[in-house]
Amino acid sequence: MGDLLAILSQASSSLGAHRAAAATAGQNIANVNTLGYSRQTANLEAMTPADLIANGYIGRGVGLQSITQARDLFLERQMPAAIAARGFSSTESDALAAVSALDPDASGGISAALGAFYAAMRGVSQRPSDSGLRQAALSASQALTRSFNRTAQSLEDARNGVDAQLAGTVDVVNQATTAMADLNKQIRIARANGAEPNDLLDNRRRLQDKITELTGALPVPNSYGDISMALPGGAALVSDDRAATLSVIADPNNGGHMAVQLTRTDGSGPVTIPGANIGGTMGGAIQARDGAMASAVAGLDTLAFDLANTVNGVHSAGFALDGTTGRNLFTVGLSAPGAASTINLDALIAGNPSLLAAASVAGAPGDNRNMLALIATERTALSTGVDAASSLQNVVTGFGGSTQRARSIADQDAGLHAHLSQMRESASGVSIDEEMINMTKAQRAFEAMSKVITAADEMLGTLMQLK
Amino acid sequence: MRVTDRMMFDNANINITNGRNRVQVAMQEASSGMRVTHPGDDPASAGLIVRSRQVLARLEAIGANAIRTNDELSIADNTLQNMGNVVTRVRELTVQMGNDSYSATDRLNAGVEVDALTRQVVMLMNTDVNGRYLFAGTNDGSPPFDAAGNYTGDTNVRQIEVAPGLLENASVRGDVAVKGAGGGVDLFAILQTLKTALNANDGAGIRGALPQLDTATRQVTDALASVGSMMNSFDVARALADAGHDDATKSMAHEQEVDTFESATKLALANHALEVALTASANGFRMSLMNKLG
Repeated sequence: MGDLLAILSQASSSLGAHRAAAATAGQNIANVNTLGYSRQTANLEAMTPADLIANGYIGRGVGLQSITQARDLFLERQMPAAIAARGFSSTESDALAAVSALDPDASGGISAALGAFYAAMRGVSQRPSDSGLRQAALSASQALTRSFNRTAQSLEDARNGVDAQLAGTVDVVNQATTAMADLNKQIRIARANGAEPNDLLDNRRRLQDKITELTGALPVPNSYGDISMALPGGAALVSDDRAATLSVIADPNNGGHMAVQLTRTDGSGPVTIPGANIGGTMGGAIQARDGAMASAVAGLDTLAFDLANTVNGVHSAGFALDGTTGRNLFTVGLSAPGAASTINLDALIAGNPSLLAAASVAGAPGDNRNMLALIATERTALSTGVDAASSLQNVVTGFGGSTQRARSIADQDAGLHAHLSQMRESASGVSIDEEMINMTKAQRAFEAMSKVITAADEMLGTLMQLK
Repeated sequence: MRVTDRMMFDNANINITNGRNRVQVAMQEASSGMRVTHPGDDPASAGLIVRSRQVLARLEAIGANAIRTNDELSIADNTLQNMGNVVTRVRELTVQMGNDSYSATDRLNAGVEVDALTRQVVMLMNTDVNGRYLFAGTNDGSPPFDAAGNYTGDTNVRQIEVAPGLLENASVRGDVAVKGAGGGVDLFAILQTLKTALNANDGAGIRGALPQLDTATRQVTDALASVGSMMNSFDVARALADAGHDDATKSMAHEQEVDTFESATKLALANHALEVALTASANGFRMSLMNKLG
């Protein structure tokens, strides 16, 4: 009799175990589309101790031993670096590809304007006293300065766009780091209760991936299960259950563009983080802003400054139709930085084409010698060591090279990331087919156990009916 | 390898996105005809395109200048030919009146014609194009010769570029052509002397002007010849600029434009790849145990 009741109790605990297995399959199926969810497995185990009857131990059914996540730590260890690299390179590549100011066939680009400037000056050299040609030369000069202004401005706009992006990203990072610090605490409490909080772990990994993607910070696990996040330079974004706060501030040493500051997890600071110590999308954006875009702006500034001074040097030596001399054609600042944004045509000359100094002596309206000298500046080596057209060519090629490099690295990083994600998905992802099978498996066992109960019940009944 | 549902959907997503991306790029290339629209598409080509643009503008300007210069030179050429005719007429008169069978009255009348011819020389040498006097050197804002034949222009010769950095003379000096500057004869002085001799009925004096008139004719012919050679230079300059322009246009097209057949093939391939990706994905989605379990 006691043994028959043992069969019933064995069956009831086994029913519970199979129900847990079915529930786990259900949970897996429900989360088939959840980002960062790791497939869970209900691990069943034969229950001990068993009863010793005569010469044999009779088992006591099956119980739920644990619910574990399927995770491949080898893959997961590689994941953060791949996420950070992809965030960095794709952001840099996208930011650079969005700049159209240096497109070779941009209408109103510097390339066309520079060619038109010298072409118009050639026109004047042929008929130095022709007021129509002089007016055309002034228009071309004005167009050249405007196109320098416009191109520099649109590059500056792109850099300002990066600043806005940084300011927005910082808020998202701050929310994520706070949430992650909080999860570290919750996970510690849940573990103290004795079980693995699988879903909290998934949530934390999702936040961790997000922070890595945005900032390039990598996870640093400690011995009691917390995961801290450290930026490439070592500064902690999350330290156990405390989070640091990022903010942006205008950097006067970088033309007022935003620098990233960190208020440490202990509340001290804020300190400025060097751009090189930030990775992920923020680092990529900073790299685009202070790398290729800044070089292009600097190249244009140098070109505008050199060209203006070279042309001015020749122009001021010549004589205008009214016999005056010593006038510059372009106004430009005292140093190269900002020259492309500020270069302009001399205000007096702009209003009076006859002030264009074509002659090298006074009172000779047909003298074109100064104009010929001015045209020759087309081939004068500037401070870059090459002439204006080549300097411009170098700026465009340099910018294009950076864009191309960023693009190919982005492709490569995206490929690596996609591959690792696939591998991780392969290890941790949910397969509906598989879960349906697991579900059916649990269902069958459940049904069979029900039969066991019926059988035991019938056996008990038979026993009871003995008279 | 375990293949999960999410992998299948993610793969479909990536493949279809990539396929659409390729179609979009191929379509843009095919419809715009441009291979390089951003410097990052081909940095070296982008730089060369920028440079070629300068070369194009330069050659266009040199070509246009050559045409304008030749227009002016052909006016100078015409003028100098007329000058030649005038000098020839003076020489005819001199030969004719040098014959002592002509009376003093005949010679006085001839003197009147020489006066008229002198005024004609002044007029011809003051030829202008839109207010620019062709024989005035670079001081071309006002007529270089006064009624008495005094030269008020300067001694410069205007030069124009025939190739980048290469200059060619584009004007002849009026003082050299008719005033004998730099070792020649002064046509006005000859005409003055001739007229005096005609008025004085001085046969020997009239005949004495002949050798000098020959020199003056040579001077005008020399000027004409140099204008001719300049016109030739600028013709060549224009032809070279045109040829260079064509070459630069061609090389720029090579750098920038797509090969039509290649881009059409690329577009067809991209379309095909996208279609395959769509079909394969749709098929993959259908295969599930869900459809088989009762």
